[in-house]
Amino acid sequence: MAIIERPSSEVAIAGGSTVGVKPSEALGVFKRPAASTSWRDWIVTVDHKKLGIMYGVAAFFFFIVGGLEAVLIRMQLIAPNGKVLNADQYNQMFTMHATTMVFLFVMPMAAAFANYFVPLQIGARDVAFPRINAFGFWCFLFGGIFLNTAWFLGGAADGGWFMYAPNSSTLFSPSHGIDFWSMGLQITGIASLTGAINLIVTILNMRAPGMKMMRMPIFTWMVLVVQFLLLFAIPVITVALFLLTFQRSFDATFFDVASGADPLLWQHLFWIFGHPEVYILILPSFGIVSEILPVFSKKPLFGYPIVAMSGAAIGFVGWGVWAHHMFASGLGPVSVTVFSMATMAIAVPTGVKIVNWVMTMWGGKLQFTVPMLFSIALVVQFTIGGLSGVTHAVAPSDTQQTDTYYIVAHFHYVLFGGAIFGLFAGFYYWWPKMFRKQLSESLGRWNFWLMVVGMNMTFGPMHMLGLQGQPRRMSVWTEARAGEGFFNLGFWNRISSIGSLVLSLGVLLFIINVVYTHKSKKVAIAPLDPWDGRTLEWMTDSPPKEHNFDTIPTINNLDEFFHRKYAQDATTHEITQVATAEEVLAEMNAHPDEHIHMPSRSYWPILLALALPIIGYGLIYNRVILAVGVAMVVATMFGWAMEPSTAADDDFDPPAPGDGGGHTKELAPLG
Amino acid sequence: MKSSRRWSNIIKPVLAVSSLIAVAGCAKDAPQDTWQPAGPNAKMIDDLQRPIFYIAGIVGVIVFAAVAWAIFRFRDRGQAMPEQTHGKPALEITLTVIPVLILIGVGVPTVGTIFDLAKTDDTEMTINVTGQQWWWEYDYPAVGDNAEVYGISDPIVTSGQLVIPEDTKVLLRVTSRDVIHSYWIPKLNGKKDSVPGRVHLLRMEGSEPGIYAGQCTEFCGLSHAYMRMEAVVLSKADYATWVANQLEAYNSPSADNVLAVEGEKLFLQQCARCHQVNGLLNADGTPNVAAPDQYVVSGAAPNLTNLMTRNTFAGASWDLLTPECRDDVWNATPAEFGEKYLAGVSEDCLNQKDLREWLRNAPEKKPMYADPTKLTETGGKYRGMPALGLTEDQISALVAYLLELK
Repeated sequence: MAIIERPSSEVAIAGGSTVGVKPSEALGVFKRPAASTSWRDWIVTVDHKKLGIMYGVAAFFFFIVGGLEAVLIRMQLIAPNGKVLNADQYNQMFTMHATTMVFLFVMPMAAAFANYFVPLQIGARDVAFPRINAFGFWCFLFGGIFLNTAWFLGGAADGGWFMYAPNSSTLFSPSHGIDFWSMGLQITGIASLTGAINLIVTILNMRAPGMKMMRMPIFTWMVLVVQFLLLFAIPVITVALFLLTFQRSFDATFFDVASGADPLLWQHLFWIFGHPEVYILILPSFGIVSEILPVFSKKPLFGYPIVAMSGAAIGFVGWGVWAHHMFASGLGPVSVTVFSMATMAIAVPTGVKIVNWVMTMWGGKLQFTVPMLFSIALVVQFTIGGLSGVTHAVAPSDTQQTDTYYIVAHFHYVLFGGAIFGLFAGFYYWWPKMFRKQLSESLGRWNFWLMVVGMNMTFGPMHMLGLQGQPRRMSVWTEARAGEGFFNLGFWNRISSIGSLVLSLGVLLFIINVVYTHKSKKVAIAPLDPWDGRTLEWMTDSPPKEHNFDTIPTINNLDEFFHRKYAQDATTHEITQVATAEEVLAEMNAHPDEHIHMPSRSYWPILLALALPIIGYGLIYNRVILAVGVAMVVATMFGWAMEPSTAADDDFDPPAPGDGGGHTKELAPLG
Repeated sequence: MKSSRRWSNIIKPVLAVSSLIAVAGCAKDAPQDTWQPAGPNAKMIDDLQRPIFYIAGIVGVIVFAAVAWAIFRFRDRGQAMPEQTHGKPALEITLTVIPVLILIGVGVPTVGTIFDLAKTDDTEMTINVTGQQWWWEYDYPAVGDNAEVYGISDPIVTSGQLVIPEDTKVLLRVTSRDVIHSYWIPKLNGKKDSVPGRVHLLRMEGSEPGIYAGQCTEFCGLSHAYMRMEAVVLSKADYATWVANQLEAYNSPSADNVLAVEGEKLFLQQCARCHQVNGLLNADGTPNVAAPDQYVVSGAAPNLTNLMTRNTFAGASWDLLTPECRDDVWNATPAEFGEKYLAGVSEDCLNQKDLREWLRNAPEKKPMYADPTKLTETGGKYRGMPALGLTEDQISALVAYLLELK
């Protein structure tokens, strides 16, 4: 069995003409890239798996950029009155470090996993809107590049990732950095918003028969919650960014105190987005470890409904806690009390997850593979971050801690020790599914331990620094405020800076592992089901065919794949293997679906996405460029709208026969 | 049994070492330590947060122990496939209710403390605190108890050091002239943002004479790292002396101090358009009135009247005292502190190095938007002090003059 892009050329010839390739009927300029191959295919693809990989590669590139920025920050702070960066460069560095890590690494990397695995986990052949999916990726990539070009065009944004007004106005930040920042985030925001709608529709409508909501893999559940958070959070930051752009580019006065504005407006808008954003960053990783812990404990996720519902609860309560970022802003005691209590409340569903992870391991048969190690580290490190989080839910305590390194320690334990460790667990767990080869476990262990040591060495001491009074975002610290004794703040700053190098080495080992795994002939092709998986994505080839499944499975259980492999004896309750993965797959593929309709490639998504940074440059530099960008948006949207969802016969080269269904994909015997 | 004993053999030293690290890991006398309250407001916070940290620590240890035990006890030793249990509702409900109870226990005292800290109706003294890029201005208005009880018969305007009487409920009215800053003296209270267009209230009270360090904690642009402050607590008697000294009439340097006389002239030419010195007269005998609003974005520059009664300059970024003299003041016992602080900056104790560097080229020492060629967005106004292009002789004259300001 094989899938073909289009009817074989033999059929095409039989069908008639082999010449006279016509442009697409949609918009008569270029032929639709219906059957591209080679590198061109990556430009025009709408395949969720290819887009997932592209999200991953691009996000990892930005991870390295953001990481280098972090190392420069730590090198500046390794000693008092650091000279590595000047104050201006330092301010740009910490602004762009946070912006890059949040918007250009963790979010898109979660999107990479969601794109690749959600359709596989729910037994779908692609996402609901494949071209919009491609558009989202290109928006993210071009937005991210646009944002970073500021470095070469007079300096990057220097107002902090929170970009508080009025410090963000042209009076206080005369470079174009913040213009690049607001337009760049606007563009990546489009990626998040379209992606959210796409995945919500996909998850709600395209599940395999029998997959009730409460049979969905927990990763898909968490992705669903995150997409709803994005759906409502991104519009808020979009509005805020528009206000900022109008303030800076068109002399609007939204945040101008002299004109009667209250700068706290920005803070409310930013954190109404910003706090749900925190859960947008962490929940996908919660989903990943909730997949991995059961697999390597050989047990189902403990309390699956509670884990799913607590994720949803976090999604709801997450909207009512934004002002805990503003306890020192002068909100008044009543508001502070309300947000303080809401913040404590959100600790409950979060704590529930930790309890359920531990209970999943409890009584299991634990295998300490690299993905399992990363997952356990997440549980431990996130617990530390969660507990320090409770200490600043206590508002009076927070007035001592906010804007100090204690907060930096807290959210790096949550986001690095939590979110990023979860993503690395995902890399190791799903690598054989995506790329046929399993990453080296021995290099993986080095990778893991260096990252654990590096992460705790870098961010652990920041608890000490913060509680003893070192504020954040300072380009230099002074010996005069560092205290006496061997273990003074200077000591902990040094440890933290050295830790960042250890951490970098750990990340470098991951890259080495990837290169080694794919270059070395010694690394064999991974088996079909290397980890003894439990969920649907393992119930197909590695990597999956373009159409994912030859047969869409019917789902009878949570952990469907496990239940097809294992059976429980009715009397002894003993669990025995009844089929191998290969056998399950062979049985499934014995009767492949006959009509498989896959979406066709398109170049409109990349062209439309390309128009957006042109608008951005136009807004900053020249209104003519702006007009060109807008014209391009209109033209590409028109072209896209006119393009049929599946390619016409004569888009193929040679053209497909006009037999009605001929231009869609068919499962056909070849050779 | 045997295995669990082995386990406890591992865990005990680990716990011992880690608690040792936690205790030994603290710097001694870090000036901004949030765990060393020196006034009732900070004490209130400290009383609240200490038990919460302990509870958090205990919860953490329980979770880590459970994870460690699971890792140790349930690793794959070739045991049979475990039972495919999906959960135990009773256990799950219990494990949800426990954190709820803990959080209620944490929440109730939190609410009480929030409202206690917001109390202002028993205020004994009021000071206006205004942040701007990148220093704090203190304005002691001559009204109410300020005038009647503390003898502030004319407004006192200073910068760098907030000076308050011991055991007095001082209310800071915090605002800003440009971007958002945040006022924070960790040993006296938590922080409060200073937001342009808004006045936020922050209670300060010191229980013991001494000097307490702080730092602007809301990112406020280029020189955020150099926006520091100090709070000075004086006994009530010493405070009266301080107030009287601040209100003393201005005296030009005596004629035999030639350098200082020259410095005063230079000050009038170079500095006085931005920096106010109360009582300073122009060459024509009219009072000099500084007009920083014409030159500086935020519209203010530090009032330098009695500069040498403060120990710091340039947003408290540098000391006016040499390191030895500084240590002498900072490490003084509460009983001796007042006398040492009120002595001000003598010629012997003056930190010539930093002050001269500052006068030579201020924006090089502290990053500021003060390059005259790059002020298009601000309409030609500076954000901070520009380089004045003074000669070394002029700097010496200015230093001699500034030394007279006490």
